[in-house]
Amino acid sequence: MPVDLAELQTMIEAALPGAAVEVFDEDGGGQHLKAVVNAPQFEGLSRIDQHRLVKAAVKPRFDDGTIHALSVKTSPL
Amino acid sequence: MADPELKSKVQELIAANPVLLFMKGTPEAPRCGFSMRVVQVLDQVDVEYGAIDVLPALQPLREVTAEISDWQTFPQLYVNGELLGGADIVEEMFESGELAEALGVEQPEVASVPADGPPAQSPPLQIE
Repeated sequence: MPVDLAELQTMIEAALPGAAVEVFDEDGGGQHLKAVVNAPQFEGLSRIDQHRLVKAAVKPRFDDGTIHALSVKTSPL
Repeated sequence: MADPELKSKVQELIAANPVLLFMKGTPEAPRCGFSMRVVQVLDQVDVEYGAIDVLPALQPLREVTAEISDWQTFPQLYVNGELLGGADIVEEMFESGELAEALGVEQPEVASVPADGPPAQSPPLQIE
């Protein structure tokens, strides 16, 4: 199944209302995906907890094998 | 559900090693680009750490860390019993100086993650 970047972005935005989300396919082949997420919900959280929120948002696409790895960069908005 | 015996073994290891890295391969011969990146950072901060190769028991260990830390991908760096993060977080915290702080060491003078120069090892292997 091809990776739908817009869907990933929508899933993250839905999980973190108010977040600024960008999802990139760094090599164009779907193997090096990167999400840059700035969300108000990150305030006061450790980085690992910030990443957990992002990973949880796209978990269905990990579970169904659409994506294998997602590089994440987060910061509080 | 994770194997209870393996789980308690992992918990003991995390408790016994102030800095512990679960990685694919060994520090001398990383078998994954993400694991290699964390090893390079730890070498630069010059901290003593334990390393465990997860490849011989990848799936069982995934199940264990999912239960312990809600995290299933490797590498995973634990500091003082807590999961600090994987390659992305470790590099980010290294660059900002937070990693040295968390480890209780001095930030090295030249804090840079090796750029995309010629790889000293084989190129990063894609996981699965």
